[in-house]
Amino acid sequence: MNKVKQKDLILYSSLIILGLAAPYLFSAFKVQLTYLCVLIVLAMTWNLQGGEMGYNTFGNILFYGLGMYLTASVQVGMFFPLAEWTESGGEKTFVHTTAQYFQGIGVGLLVSAIVPAIVAGAIGYAILGLRGHYFAICTLGLGIAAGEIAGGIEIIGAGQGFTTPPFPAEIVDTEARGKFFYFLSFALLIGTFIFVKYIYGSRFRLILNAIRDNEDKAEAMGIQTMKYKIVGWMCSAFFCGLAGGIMGGLIGYIDSTDVAFDGREMGVFMVLMAILGGKGTLWGPVIGATLFHFFKEGLWTLILGWQYVALGVLIVVIVVYFPEGLMGWLREKYPERFGEVIDEKDRKAQVELK
Amino acid sequence: MNKIAKLFVTFISAITLALVSFTSSFAKVEGEYIVLGSAISLTGKYSSNGVHTQNGYNMAVDRINKMGGVEVQGKKYKFEIIYYDDESNPKRAAQLAERLIKQDGVHYMLGPYSSGLTKAIAPVTEKYKIPMVEANGASRSLFTKGYKYLFAVLSPANQYLEVAIDLAVEKNGGKGVRIAQAFEQDAFSQDVRLGILDAAKRTGSEIIIDDKLPKELNDMAATLAKVKATKPDVLVVSGHTKGALTAIRQISEMKVDVPMLAMTHCDAAKLSKQHGKKSEYALCASQWHKNLSYKDKFFGGGKKYAKDFQKEFGYDPPYQSAESSAALLVFKDAFERANSFDRDAVRDALVDTEMQTFYGNIKFGPGGQNIAKPMILFQVRCKGDDCENRVVAPTKWASDKFYHPIPKWSERS
Repeated sequence: MNKVKQKDLILYSSLIILGLAAPYLFSAFKVQLTYLCVLIVLAMTWNLQGGEMGYNTFGNILFYGLGMYLTASVQVGMFFPLAEWTESGGEKTFVHTTAQYFQGIGVGLLVSAIVPAIVAGAIGYAILGLRGHYFAICTLGLGIAAGEIAGGIEIIGAGQGFTTPPFPAEIVDTEARGKFFYFLSFALLIGTFIFVKYIYGSRFRLILNAIRDNEDKAEAMGIQTMKYKIVGWMCSAFFCGLAGGIMGGLIGYIDSTDVAFDGREMGVFMVLMAILGGKGTLWGPVIGATLFHFFKEGLWTLILGWQYVALGVLIVVIVVYFPEGLMGWLREKYPERFGEVIDEKDRKAQVELK
Repeated sequence: MNKIAKLFVTFISAITLALVSFTSSFAKVEGEYIVLGSAISLTGKYSSNGVHTQNGYNMAVDRINKMGGVEVQGKKYKFEIIYYDDESNPKRAAQLAERLIKQDGVHYMLGPYSSGLTKAIAPVTEKYKIPMVEANGASRSLFTKGYKYLFAVLSPANQYLEVAIDLAVEKNGGKGVRIAQAFEQDAFSQDVRLGILDAAKRTGSEIIIDDKLPKELNDMAATLAKVKATKPDVLVVSGHTKGALTAIRQISEMKVDVPMLAMTHCDAAKLSKQHGKKSEYALCASQWHKNLSYKDKFFGGGKKYAKDFQKEFGYDPPYQSAESSAALLVFKDAFERANSFDRDAVRDALVDTEMQTFYGNIKFGPGGQNIAKPMILFQVRCKGDDCENRVVAPTKWASDKFYHPIPKWSERS
């Protein structure tokens, strides 16, 4: 047991070192690395619902977009009149000082974590009674509705979009912005991973699994399933909101349906990445998101104009050949490596029976 | 778990190696080529206009290269463009701009298609001090941010349809008119809307319908039903190519009678070809028309450009292509005047641009917008089944008289 832990320690510390060194090693790729961190966070949090709880949600994009708008609004609203900012498209008359910028984004991120969690609680209370595809369709509607509503609210820019505060001009180093957002997202990734890993060792996960496997039985066992479902969703919303807040600052321009409530891309990607890696596993979403991001960045520009066709083919291949994801496929091939004990005699006996 | 961990570590290190080998970046000027970068919408909702833009760029690159290229410090250089597909998505566009600059080492950018995407890219080019000449981001708010490296060869969006309101007021004997308007929820169309609001205030006109249309619209029946009921003097619609097509389709289906119909993107939508007589009398804002009398030595005049473009790509050039071609001419001019590849020298040369191209005069205002070229309005007119766009305003270039009011559907054959 101790030995295993030591190996884990080596793995984690080497990954953290790699993560810390990455923006220096691959200076030109900082933005893509930031995206990677955010994608992993989204996949891991989606996995809590889709993988562990068996509730396929398309609604997590709601929290992501909410976090994005909240962070930017707070960052501007703390120091300047928000309505004037958005109306002028972030005119140069309002310039954040260095201190204001960082204070603003700090408070903004705090808000963008808490508010989406509360919203998740409220919405969850209303709709987590739905099951299966009813729940999936209902959450699909949430993201679309949010995009349309945000596109009509003047104070956050409506259809004009919202230009987030530019990185303080007093910091001359052009690399500073990239590094700042990378380390922010990396910190979020580590925080999310620790949290999810903690959940994986807890009774909470077992309850989520029980809900997935048979909700009625779980209820009959005396588990208040509704309570756990809501708490689970609130946890996801917390991290999705943060991820959105960071992305908003990084992209620099928020559009209601294409950037914030981007159900067609981000909303689908997070599901796809979790399934690609293997839902219901700790490492699955991480590997899935990493592979997906590399596939996307590496190959998409080679097939200009056809990338979405390739994505469609990829989805079909994943669903047909790896229905359990990469982790599930590996587990089936090499069960021993996952710590599953297999009785050789038993396996042979089964083979002979056929 | 351990084995899995090992597998993961191997995987990560493989990626690391791959990344390191990728990092060899290009130079801004490679041999005899000046490398420009552009993220463009080849897929997604702006794909048709994205292709118009790309064709415009390519046409100008070919022409300039064929006619001797760009001369800097006595040496001839040719243009080359690295394209990426931004999928009509601002998030992707910003990421690709970063990629062009950081990984491909591009030092000069050409703009994407649409205001929203330009808004997403401009902060990136500004951060790295990369001069960007853009031809398709007209939103006014692009030019109020104090960007120093952004140059637009087109007139800002709020000017698109202001003239149309003035025209309507003139036809109404100088009295204010009743306006019905519907705009797509996107940066460009919302700016056109602001222009109309200004014009309405100025002329004492009243806005009786002010609807927002969803992106990628293909239905505006609700707005048209209201128009039928309230009978406004002018109907204004803006929603890129799809907006123009949808409006004409449904107006003709529902037989909506309105004395004046003003729109944007008619020529990009090939309205007169696609809808023929149904689109007759529609009034359209345009940055350019082939009948204008501007000239330059690369493309000759507008008519010559249209002919060459038709030969090359098989369709009449919409203004999106013309303005994109003009962007290259501006870059060439700036490089030669700067006589250097230093980004700031090129930027300073761009600031001082004052030239005539087949597309119009170009001179940049303090915000980076083109202040030397007015917008024009044309009207779709048909002879039999053959429809074409005729310039009706401003009077200096008008080839035809503005036809007003539009006859009722019951009287149209």
